[in-house]
Amino acid sequence: MANQPRPADKTDKRPPKSGSGAARSRRDWRHPLRSWAGSHRDSARLALRRIGEHPVSTVMIVLVMTIVLALPMGLAVLIDQVERLGIDWQRAAQLSVYLQQDVKPDAAQTVQQDIAAMDDVAEVQLLDRELALAEFQQHSGLGDALQQLAYNPLPDVILVMPRDIDGGAAALEPLRERLAQLPGVDQVQIDMLWVERLTAILSMVERFTGALALLLVLTLLLVMANTIRLAIESRRNEILVIKLVGGTDAFVRRPFLYLGMLYGLLAGILAWLLLGVGLAWLNGTVRELAALYQSDFELTGMPLQDGLVLLGGAILLGLAGAWLAVGRHIREIEPQ
Amino acid sequence: MIRFEQVCKRYPNGHQGLDHLSFHIRTGEMVFITGHSGAGKSTLLKLIMCMERPSSGQVFVGGQNLRDLGSHDIPYLRRQVGVVFQNHQLLFDRTVFDNVALPLIINGTPRDEVGRRVRAALDKVGLLKKESMYPIALSGGEQQRVGIARAVVHKPALLLADEPTGNLDPELSAEIMGLFEDFNRVGVTVIIASHDLPLIAELDHRMLTLSEGRLLADGE
Repeated sequence: MANQPRPADKTDKRPPKSGSGAARSRRDWRHPLRSWAGSHRDSARLALRRIGEHPVSTVMIVLVMTIVLALPMGLAVLIDQVERLGIDWQRAAQLSVYLQQDVKPDAAQTVQQDIAAMDDVAEVQLLDRELALAEFQQHSGLGDALQQLAYNPLPDVILVMPRDIDGGAAALEPLRERLAQLPGVDQVQIDMLWVERLTAILSMVERFTGALALLLVLTLLLVMANTIRLAIESRRNEILVIKLVGGTDAFVRRPFLYLGMLYGLLAGILAWLLLGVGLAWLNGTVRELAALYQSDFELTGMPLQDGLVLLGGAILLGLAGAWLAVGRHIREIEPQ
Repeated sequence: MIRFEQVCKRYPNGHQGLDHLSFHIRTGEMVFITGHSGAGKSTLLKLIMCMERPSSGQVFVGGQNLRDLGSHDIPYLRRQVGVVFQNHQLLFDRTVFDNVALPLIINGTPRDEVGRRVRAALDKVGLLKKESMYPIALSGGEQQRVGIARAVVHKPALLLADEPTGNLDPELSAEIMGLFEDFNRVGVTVIIASHDLPLIAELDHRMLTLSEGRLLADGE
């Protein structure tokens, strides 16, 4: 008795009833799959209808979700684009070779030619110390003070553009050492420190965004779970009736899961739109700012891939939030 | 079809719902269960539906010991049973058609068959023309008939009714009972809890009389 199948499987022991035999024989092997798909279609349609029945609460929850989604996603996209800028700047890496004070102009030119002859050097430019001082007096605002100096404190500088610039500061280290060995060279600097600082700041902001996203996702799950819980509560009577006529927990659950996914879908679309419009709006000022730095940098708008991730994530979050709510809650609603 | 063996049901508040109740209802029978309110009629039906579990004793439905049913099996038991409630338990935001179709949707009946079967059930209770109306627009008797159509649309082998004529006038009540007799005639086992003794007396069926959870009389 204990290992008997479910009563549903024992229909055949019952007395034959008019029509049921014929009906059963018509159901072929595709029937379970078809009815499963049909049930999902019904659930999705039901969820859509519920959204239509409660437009205000739908708008509220979708807007909350939109903001919660757009905030971290927007930051992530921005960071991504600024990082791209950082990489561009990294390509502009150069080494500054400071010559000793007492190096004569002829010797400086010899050093310049020696460096230019190196295999891994693309371009060399000599900055004359007298010219550099004049320029410095003009632009630094320290003109008068510099006039008081008995001698020119600035050394000759040779700017070296390395041929291979993809490896970052570390890859330029051997070249720097070789340049430092040359006669008359005082010191060699790799002018990448500020790029590295930018990268460090970006990675910090990135980490902050990650933590923020985590918190916001948690918020979103709770908001979604609460919304679905209220939806379930307002349908308590319907759930009782469905359970009385043999609806499984899964059957009751399904429309609410679809409801969560629909909320997620709507919020995902809205967030995508919001970010698209927001980035375009921001782009105007970014271009102005970039122009001040002689850069043609601009935001490229919301990448398609990020948008799809956003949309998929939003739907998944809606589903997860709904799961949180339905799991216990629907099991607890039992006809008495 | 239904067998109760020394079934006791004690509620947490100390109320004794059923007290060592034993009886047997054969397939194809039509049985009335009567008694004062609180005698255990509803409790008996709830035990058959697995809405409640006995404190002791065993309940068999169609040879299946309900004790062996896990909570995941209960929906499948209920699909074998049609239930009519005194308060109809209709969904007021769905049409008559959708209300009646619910058991078919739940057990995954193919779409083309749903319409045919729902209309057959509505035809049987004389409401074919009202399938697209909402229950709120129907009279009490009509609502009850929608409830009956929903209870039989999936052709259950067992039909339970809890005070199905509770709020209806005698004429309508007799009509409803006539419907149940029709279903019984085609082989459905029918169990009706009712305290409408004059009405039951007119019909010639077995009658189980309960009092304080015990079987007082079995008019077999």
